[in-house]
Amino acid sequence: MDSQTVLIIGGGVAGMEAARQLRLLGCEPVIVEKSDHLGGHVAGWHKLFPDMLSASSLIERMSESLDGITVYLKTQVASMNRLKDGFSVMLTNGTGLLCRAVLIASGFRLFEASRKEEYGYGVYDRVITNSDLEYWFNTGEDDRIPDNLSNIAFVHCVGSRDLKAGNPQCSKVCCMTAVKQAIEMKERFPDAEIWCFYMDLRLFGKKYEDFYINAQRDYGVHFVRGRVSEVSEDIDGRVILKAEDTLAGRQVKLKADLLVLMAGMLCNEDTAGLASMVRAEVDSDGFLRSRDNIFRINESSRPGIFFAGACTGTKTVPETVAEARAAALDIRNYLNGND
Amino acid sequence: MIDFGFGLSRSSAVRLDEVDLTLYRKLEKLEPGVRTCMSCGSCTATCTAGPWSGMSVRKVILDLQRERASAEGHGEVRKMLSACMLCGKCSMVCPRGINTRHLILSLCRIYEEKK
Amino acid sequence: MRERFATGFDPFVLPFLVGMIFVLGYCAYGIFRILFQLSRQDRRKFLLSLITPSTALKNIWDIFANCLLHVKLWKRNRMLGFMHSSIAFGWFMIILLGHIEVMVYCPERVRLLYYPIFFNYFVAENESTIGGAVLFFLMDFFLLLILTGIALAMIKRVRSRIFGMRRTTRPSALDRVGLYSLWAIFPLRLLAESFTAHISGGSFLTIPANWVFRQFLGNDLNMLPTWWAYSIALGVFMCVLPFTRYMHIPAEMMLIPMRNAGLKIRHPRKGFAKVEVLSCPGCGVCIDACPMSVKKVNIKDCTVYLNRQIRRGNEKRIEEISDKCLLCGKCEAVCQVGVEGPKLRIAQRASRRYGLTPDYSGIDVAPLVAAAKGSKVLYFSGCMTRLTPSIGKAVTSLMHKAGVDFVWMDRDEGLCCGRPLLTAGRIDAAIGLIHKNEEIILSSGADTLVLSCPICYKIFTERYSLPGVRVVNYTDYFSELVEHGRLHLTKGDVCYVYHDPCELGRGCGIYDSPRKLIGQAAGIAEAPKTREESICCGGSLGSLTLDFSQREAMTRNALKNLYESRADAIATACPLCLTTFSRYSERPVRDLAEVLDASCSG
Repeated sequence: MDSQTVLIIGGGVAGMEAARQLRLLGCEPVIVEKSDHLGGHVAGWHKLFPDMLSASSLIERMSESLDGITVYLKTQVASMNRLKDGFSVMLTNGTGLLCRAVLIASGFRLFEASRKEEYGYGVYDRVITNSDLEYWFNTGEDDRIPDNLSNIAFVHCVGSRDLKAGNPQCSKVCCMTAVKQAIEMKERFPDAEIWCFYMDLRLFGKKYEDFYINAQRDYGVHFVRGRVSEVSEDIDGRVILKAEDTLAGRQVKLKADLLVLMAGMLCNEDTAGLASMVRAEVDSDGFLRSRDNIFRINESSRPGIFFAGACTGTKTVPETVAEARAAALDIRNYLNGND
Repeated sequence: MIDFGFGLSRSSAVRLDEVDLTLYRKLEKLEPGVRTCMSCGSCTATCTAGPWSGMSVRKVILDLQRERASAEGHGEVRKMLSACMLCGKCSMVCPRGINTRHLILSLCRIYEEKK
Repeated sequence: MRERFATGFDPFVLPFLVGMIFVLGYCAYGIFRILFQLSRQDRRKFLLSLITPSTALKNIWDIFANCLLHVKLWKRNRMLGFMHSSIAFGWFMIILLGHIEVMVYCPERVRLLYYPIFFNYFVAENESTIGGAVLFFLMDFFLLLILTGIALAMIKRVRSRIFGMRRTTRPSALDRVGLYSLWAIFPLRLLAESFTAHISGGSFLTIPANWVFRQFLGNDLNMLPTWWAYSIALGVFMCVLPFTRYMHIPAEMMLIPMRNAGLKIRHPRKGFAKVEVLSCPGCGVCIDACPMSVKKVNIKDCTVYLNRQIRRGNEKRIEEISDKCLLCGKCEAVCQVGVEGPKLRIAQRASRRYGLTPDYSGIDVAPLVAAAKGSKVLYFSGCMTRLTPSIGKAVTSLMHKAGVDFVWMDRDEGLCCGRPLLTAGRIDAAIGLIHKNEEIILSSGADTLVLSCPICYKIFTERYSLPGVRVVNYTDYFSELVEHGRLHLTKGDVCYVYHDPCELGRGCGIYDSPRKLIGQAAGIAEAPKTREESICCGGSLGSLTLDFSQREAMTRNALKNLYESRADAIATACPLCLTTFSRYSERPVRDLAEVLDASCSG
């Protein structure tokens, strides 16, 4: 097979950046995206930490750079078979494709907050998720968010670090997202008190600590160390949270006008199916298994199958972009036989 | 001697290197899950007995680890444990899946052996 | 008719006599011991029941139907039913006919224990008389019946699957001795009677056999060894009987009248509990029924093994088995003799000693009483429901739609119902909580108490004393509201399969009202294992030691059963089942109240 075609599964940040780089490296990338737009989860976000970059402008810029690259929207991989030196792929839109390498960039899915029944998502009117809040930042449309807010609660680790929710892993970005969203809410509702309920604050990245300090010093956000264990509804529709302030050693209650659940990240549900088509492995955390987690994160255990982004674990946007570029280089080397 | 109204008070700091963990070790044996507690406080927050008694599984575990429970006559942990209704909500919400009811029952038995 | 031996004795009867006297003596001693172990009240109750005509008649009928005919087993599994009743009833008939023969032909020998058993050796009768022909025919007929039963039993040992049993118990060494001697008794009897048939008479089985044997063993010297062998087999069986599972034969005859007298387990090992343990035939039906047995490591924690360990006095294992169980009650539901697995376990748990006694006396109920006042109808949601807000919300909505003025008494805070403490064996503590809740409810001035949690409902109906207050499960309450036209249900498109929660179904016997309600609000389907046979969700608070990860396989197994119904979604009526199923289910799981609320226009 002489072609330099590389199939990229997933048109999110990872897939888009890898496509751009691959083309610069002389390959012919093809993007398959199951939804009707490029940009994945980031496309629905409002602003990205730590520079508060507009997510939509980032996606716009990235999309422009894909001019001329074949992109199949609303399409998925129906079947994938290994040939002698490549893959024969059938897409759900009926297109057949021969490619030399496959890059899986299928990303993550948000934990369905309604599965944590005790938080009442979908049951109470004043409970939303982090992603709902970003949507509201973008559009201003959400009936659950009233005009006047005096108490806003953020609950960290919803569907993360929770055996009962089926995900014992940390989702890594929610702590920072919560701090960012808390600040953004305080800017919109200066009179509101904002409460973040956390188990551990995991603010590890560049400038994250600055956000934390800002939130405390400039915005007066309250941080309560304790996991919310149940939420009930008051007659006026507000929600009552129950937690323990573990530092004070006291049960605490909070009547809040809005409860924001920081839903965690899980591996996309179709990813396991994709992996099984090419016999790539799924790791114990539910994400795809890299050859190792230090030196070969982009490589699967099968030749010609590469990974980028959140399909191998929770990632921030900059990490995903860096991985996409690394994967492009790895693929280029693989196609040249410089493994 | 003249009493000046103040005496020597012992430091209240817990000497971690000198802590007597006998009770905790016994509990570990009966309910190994206790080791995985990360003190998130879910159990305390949801506790049915909590509002009346200050019952807190998290505190019980921590007190055992810091020896605050093993001193004879120390009533805090005993008081908390005897308020428990075994309703099981704490075991439902524990993110680490600790069998808190078994933990509590095991502790109640350990106290029996001590008697 | 003539007696062949003037003495009416031969040494070969000795093994049988020894066995018989031993087993009778053992049982007599056992009965006195157990009677002595009962409390004075229970003993009086039991002895009185024996002379009360109605219970006495019921006793006789129950013993006949269960111990001999195995009616319950027939209903469950015809092959097993036939196997057991053919042996038990056939043997009984042979003993009865033996006695009739003795009474008819040589009444002066009726006091000899062995005479009815070895009648054909001692008495020569001619089958040409009417009496002889009929009696001998019946004897052979019942012997044939038993032999078919024994043949089935042998097949079952090798291939239990033919009988629809996936797993069966592993017999202990003594059980094997008992089993093989039992299998040997009847073929040996056939041989012995066949060898003597030309002298003592016989019928369609023994005469042809006699003829065949005489063709190549034309010698009466064969006779005595076979009668010896027959007697030895009987003797061995009876001597080992008290130490094997075959003890269930005499024990069940004791259990039935005791149960009919209304006795309950009051001591973990003595009295009624002892009789229940001894009555376990070790059939192993409870193994396949047990939700824990989906994992192989748990098989030895089923009720049949609890009984075995209690008989052996293995305290470590008794504790492990008692604490692990989910108390779902399915073993009791399928048990042929009615061993109360869950109650037996709770009794073991209750015998444990703790250094700390729960104390709720310090709880001030005044704020709870205040929260419960204001209406004739109280709703008690229970602890678990606070973790499943969808149930409370749906119940509230339905109440409003029906125009019921009610108070949700534990909406903000409440006390536990006491059932978890009770199942953990901390009975005094449970009673402490019960009194507190009684105080709150009685001072509220309400006359109806609606419960949505079946765990609470069970203890409320069984242990609470609430004069003037009607305690009702929400399934029944909503059924009434629908009947009275206060709730209007419109049938939706979704098809639900209803999962019977252990505490509501087997625990309280409520099976029909939830099904009827769902049927009015949506489509309804049935899973293969349903009602009394419903499989526990695995989330039960009954188990003290099973931890979170060990339960997953049980939940998935229970879900598999529900998926087989091909319904779109699962409905249940217990907050714990709801949470547990939601965790792993591929299909939506809804509480009954949610299903009704969605289809109720108000």
